[in-house]
Amino acid sequence: MAATDAKKQTKKRKAAPEDESPLPSAIPQNVGLEMLSDDEGTDGEDGSDGEVDEFPEIDVRSDTEDEDEVDEEGEDSDEDEEEQEEEDDEDESEEDTDDDLHIFPRARTIVSNITGQPKRVYPPIEPDYDSDSSTEDSPNRVGNIPMHWYDDLPHVGYDINGKKVLRPARGDELDKFLETVEDPSSWTTAFDKKAQMDKPLTPQELDIIRRLQENEIPDAQYNPYEPTVEWFTGKGKEEVMPLSAAPEPKRRWVPSKWEKQKVMKIVRAIRQGRILPSKPKTASTQLQFYSVWNEEPSNQPAPLPAPKPRLPTHAESYNPPEEYLPTEEERKQWEETDKEDRERDFLPQKYSALRLVPAYSQFIQERFSRQLDLYLAPRIQRVKLRIDPDSLIPKLPSPNSLRPFPVYRALQAAHEGHRVRSASVSPDGAWVVSGDESGVVRLWEVIVGKEVKRWTFKGKVGAVEWCPRTDVNFFVVGVEEHLHFLIPPNLSAATLTATQSLLSPATLPPQPATPSPIKWVSVSAAASSSDAPILTVNLPSSSGLPKQLVWHRKGDYLATVSSNETQGGVWMHQLSRRHSQAPFKKIKGSVQLVLFHPSKPHFFVATQRYVRLYNLAEQKLLKTLSPGIRWISSMDVHPSGDHLIVGGYDRKLCWFDLELSDKPYKILRYHSRALRSVHFHPTFPLFASSSDDGSIQIFHARVYNDLMTNPLIVPLKILRGHQVKDGLGVLAVRWVLRQPWLVSAGADGAVAVWCS
Amino acid sequence: MGRLRQKGKAGAAKAYVTRSSAVKKLQCSLADFRRLCILKGIFPREPRSRKRANKGSSAPTSFYYAKDIAYLAHEPVLKKLREHKAFAKKLARALGRGEWSSAKSLEENKPVYRLDHIIKERYPTFVDAVRDIDDGLCMIFLFASLPSNDKIAPSLVENCSRLAAEWQLYIMHTHALRKIFLSIKGVYYQAEVFDQTVTWLVPYQFTQNIPTDVDVRVMLTFLELYQTLLGFVFFKLYTDAGLVYPPPLDTKKDEAGAGVGAFSLQEVKHVQPSTAAKSKEVEVDGKRVSSKDVRQTIKTIAASASGDPDVDMPPSEFNMANEEEEEFVAHPSTANPEEAASLPTLKTLSALPQSSSSKLFSPYTFWLSRETSRPIFEFIVRSFGGRLGWPASSGSGSPFDESDESITHVIIDRPVVEKPDQTEEERERRRRRKHVQPQWVVDCINAGKILLEDLYTQGKTLPPHLSPFGDRADAYDPTAGLTAEDIGMYEDEDVANEEEEQMEDSDEEEEVRPAQSALKAAAAAEDAAALRAAELEAEAAGVDYGTFEKEAKKAQTKSKKIEVPAEGSGEQDMNKMMMSNKQRKLYERMKYGEKKRTAERQNLEHKKKAIEKEKKRRTKS
Repeated sequence: MAATDAKKQTKKRKAAPEDESPLPSAIPQNVGLEMLSDDEGTDGEDGSDGEVDEFPEIDVRSDTEDEDEVDEEGEDSDEDEEEQEEEDDEDESEEDTDDDLHIFPRARTIVSNITGQPKRVYPPIEPDYDSDSSTEDSPNRVGNIPMHWYDDLPHVGYDINGKKVLRPARGDELDKFLETVEDPSSWTTAFDKKAQMDKPLTPQELDIIRRLQENEIPDAQYNPYEPTVEWFTGKGKEEVMPLSAAPEPKRRWVPSKWEKQKVMKIVRAIRQGRILPSKPKTASTQLQFYSVWNEEPSNQPAPLPAPKPRLPTHAESYNPPEEYLPTEEERKQWEETDKEDRERDFLPQKYSALRLVPAYSQFIQERFSRQLDLYLAPRIQRVKLRIDPDSLIPKLPSPNSLRPFPVYRALQAAHEGHRVRSASVSPDGAWVVSGDESGVVRLWEVIVGKEVKRWTFKGKVGAVEWCPRTDVNFFVVGVEEHLHFLIPPNLSAATLTATQSLLSPATLPPQPATPSPIKWVSVSAAASSSDAPILTVNLPSSSGLPKQLVWHRKGDYLATVSSNETQGGVWMHQLSRRHSQAPFKKIKGSVQLVLFHPSKPHFFVATQRYVRLYNLAEQKLLKTLSPGIRWISSMDVHPSGDHLIVGGYDRKLCWFDLELSDKPYKILRYHSRALRSVHFHPTFPLFASSSDDGSIQIFHARVYNDLMTNPLIVPLKILRGHQVKDGLGVLAVRWVLRQPWLVSAGADGAVAVWCS
Repeated sequence: MGRLRQKGKAGAAKAYVTRSSAVKKLQCSLADFRRLCILKGIFPREPRSRKRANKGSSAPTSFYYAKDIAYLAHEPVLKKLREHKAFAKKLARALGRGEWSSAKSLEENKPVYRLDHIIKERYPTFVDAVRDIDDGLCMIFLFASLPSNDKIAPSLVENCSRLAAEWQLYIMHTHALRKIFLSIKGVYYQAEVFDQTVTWLVPYQFTQNIPTDVDVRVMLTFLELYQTLLGFVFFKLYTDAGLVYPPPLDTKKDEAGAGVGAFSLQEVKHVQPSTAAKSKEVEVDGKRVSSKDVRQTIKTIAASASGDPDVDMPPSEFNMANEEEEEFVAHPSTANPEEAASLPTLKTLSALPQSSSSKLFSPYTFWLSRETSRPIFEFIVRSFGGRLGWPASSGSGSPFDESDESITHVIIDRPVVEKPDQTEEERERRRRRKHVQPQWVVDCINAGKILLEDLYTQGKTLPPHLSPFGDRADAYDPTAGLTAEDIGMYEDEDVANEEEEQMEDSDEEEEVRPAQSALKAAAAAEDAAALRAAELEAEAAGVDYGTFEKEAKKAQTKSKKIEVPAEGSGEQDMNKMMMSNKQRKLYERMKYGEKKRTAERQNLEHKKKAIEKEKKRRTKS
């Protein structure tokens, strides 16, 4: 081993001159050699014990180790030669200094022992670091082939004998993992395809990787700051020979013909004055004016001129009349308002003399804003209306010419502070019944307002309605789930008996085929009095308060609308047959109101938004009117049967011409709160509407027989006098038959008669 | 089935483009677009439905007519602007490289756009142009008074002041000035040129500075247009008046501060072609001068001459002037040749009726005191035919000095200062001349006659200066004195106030009460019987009959006044129910405006009454 050490030393010595050699290929090898020995110090120690062969892979890694081994193998045989070689090496090193570029070993001339002739002897080729590395053999001897050829195959090539060299077994993933855990240097290893095994990266390679990562030049030896070598510049290095030996072309020294022609063209143009070489600048920049408008103007209409600003008024004067000067409040108000909202952009000021008038500080801003208006503001041509605003109000006949209509409150009957939901006037026009929410029903005379009789029921009174027949005399009161039929006192004997026989006949009519859930209970005629109801109709339980009672004009049918929203809200009762039935099995929406047509077998049903017109005889829907009201509150039909008014909680009143359209002919909005009740006068051309604002509006409504003339609606009078209580005003209005009188019932508990 | 209609291919969606899409289409910067819009007079439009025009979006944008933008795309100015952009790049590069000579040659061949075609396009006829020079004149006069800085070139200010002077010269030459109004913003002038009233505003002579919230570039673009427009308009005006345009400027005089006087008007040498142009102009204007017109004009002259009795003028002078006019009408050829030459043209015919008032100051000679503004009054006095002199401190070029004997009026604006060391000659001179405040000149012109100087003499409190342009028809009229009824009402109010005061007093004095209540009953009494009863009551309370009757009458008129409109309005209010929604809204709008105007007027009337009352009180005490 001492020999190998010496050998190493010689090699080192030999390497030293090679370091200086310009051939770069030798440099890394040499460096690597030293570093490797350092790195693998542990291995080296193991190896120094003698078991070098156990690590053939290490041998493979570096040529030098391999060489060492070779050296070791040939140690004994070349013992004597070693000495010689050492000398040779020394010689060589001397010679090497002479000629670095000489790579082949020099021949020696010796005298042959055999022939005695001098002969040239070359030193034996030492498989050293500078020997060709291609001669060394790789552990799997498949040759220098691209290994990817065998990627898919179980073998990795063929050995020299043509036998398949099988792919060495590699551990599974677990092994790999364990390896990475156990071997601290495993992260610096990489799989070598040619060797088919993991090989740790050499320090050189690691260094290269590090350099690449740090954006350095990978080659550690490369010096980027080498002094430049001046090859061609400097004293004595000038090139004396031309780069090209071609003779100088003629065009270099003969003036161009074409250029001359072009120049001459310009010269001629300048001479003729076609080109001004240096135009007098002042003349062109200065605006030249001429008469633009001399030639005929185009036929196109001129663009609209911008509107002129308003001319100044007296207020803008430097010495205005004193009344134009703003007061202290006006000044403050002007200062507080935003600039855009001000009516005028200045405050009037008064100066006693012209010399005292200062500059107007907003002058430029005003000019600027005018210009902004000119180019940024959209302009619209507006036709200015030069009409008297009062001419827009429709010309209607004066109310005075349309008398009679109720004008003042003639008398008032009080219900002691309970809301009076309903009132009804007897068909002869002499009596009024009114029912309030405490269950009291009062009967009183229209003319004097004297209460004649009073009934008290349990629960609210939802509706009262007088039977329109004249041969009998009674009225119906709707309280919770019951309809009570009452006979007013002081009737003539004939009427009384007729009424009694109608309401509680001695022989009951035969029961209809389909029994009704509604029971008719009557007191016998003999036992009846005006104190208690002679007949009671029990509406189905939980049907709620009957909101509305409507008689057919012949007085035989009575329709009721109950407040409960469930099916069964509408009932039709026939007096002669003592039978009740529900006309609608199912109806869309909740029914608000119903009405009988005054002349035809038609039936109006108002839901929240629509009014439907049914033909009862044919059992079908005729029309659906859409008044455009959110919630219908009231409805009445004109005595002629062709017109319908509908009032809503959204303050609208719609007039329908039933022959004309499903849409309202006129929509009026004049009440400030919800409409509560509308009613047509049976004989006079009047109708009234009442509202929660506590007022009653009387209209003249003339309907013409010919289809061409539109109905004339003239507002006549606003009757005020009812108090608004809890947001409710006048709840019901009823006309008195044959008189232009109106009965109104209010939420304040007052029932009033309005006379003409 | 018709053709399927695609959305956004017809109607408002196609007719309008938003500003950003217009800029995109023209491929220019927003600043260039603004410049183009200003020069071409393109302004945004308000589509009937913004949503429809903006393809369903209701974002706030401004819309232009797509056609307008399409025409803009072919605008030569736009081309020049693009060239200028390229030029600016080249120049910047040359400067950056330090290539001074190429930069210089680039600068010399800088693209410059001209606006002639735009003027012609925007104003097809001359009258259109004259109608639209108001804003231009305002701007020119403003910039003529601005100090130059890095944004406003001195040459620009110079050009503006030259244009302003040219305009003033023309107005003075043709005596076209009609009305003047001294306002707190500046001086409004109104002239009549080619039958168009041109109003412009000139700021008072103070140095103004452009505030920071004003975009000077916009103003300069406008100014560019206005300079060109006014140049062409003035050229036409001058040549039609037989004058040389531009009028030569005497630099020496200008440097001495002669102002308008530095320019000299020169007649065109050969008159024939100019008159030919004039006759052509008559046709262009679309009016014909018939013999009927001529006769009518003559008649109006006569009427105005006779119907304008000027009390303040010395009678002899007035007559002389009148005779002059008549003579001129009878024998036009013997009058001064200048007017004779221009007689057949329409312009001079239209100018003739006002000639009496446009030469208002011709008999007078004015001297301008040092503190009055020379540019304003030189312009005013000279355009109404007066002669004017001024001290050297107001600039050179005064035609005469203060000691001139012909001076009749001195326009002076300072309080009277007693000068004990006056020479006899000065005192005599002062007696001979009338010392008036500047407002007198303006008021005379607005009134169309020479007013009494007494109200306007030096040191007096001036009467209010009213706008000659008037106000709206139903606006408050300060000249109308209080009518008798108003005064009566006013007294009534006064009495009522006193009454109220008395009422307050009477709370303590019980004995006055019955009388008051009786009077109240009288006021409330509607028919004769009630009145009689009230009278009796009053007598019992010890009110004498005279006062009772007065009270009763007053109360009744008051109640009637309240009642009558109430009744009518009640009916109308009811009829309003029958109006359609649209009509109602229109009605409400009109009523709102009317109400506002009435409130304004009443406010002024109340103030006036209060002022009168105050004055009365002061005079009493």
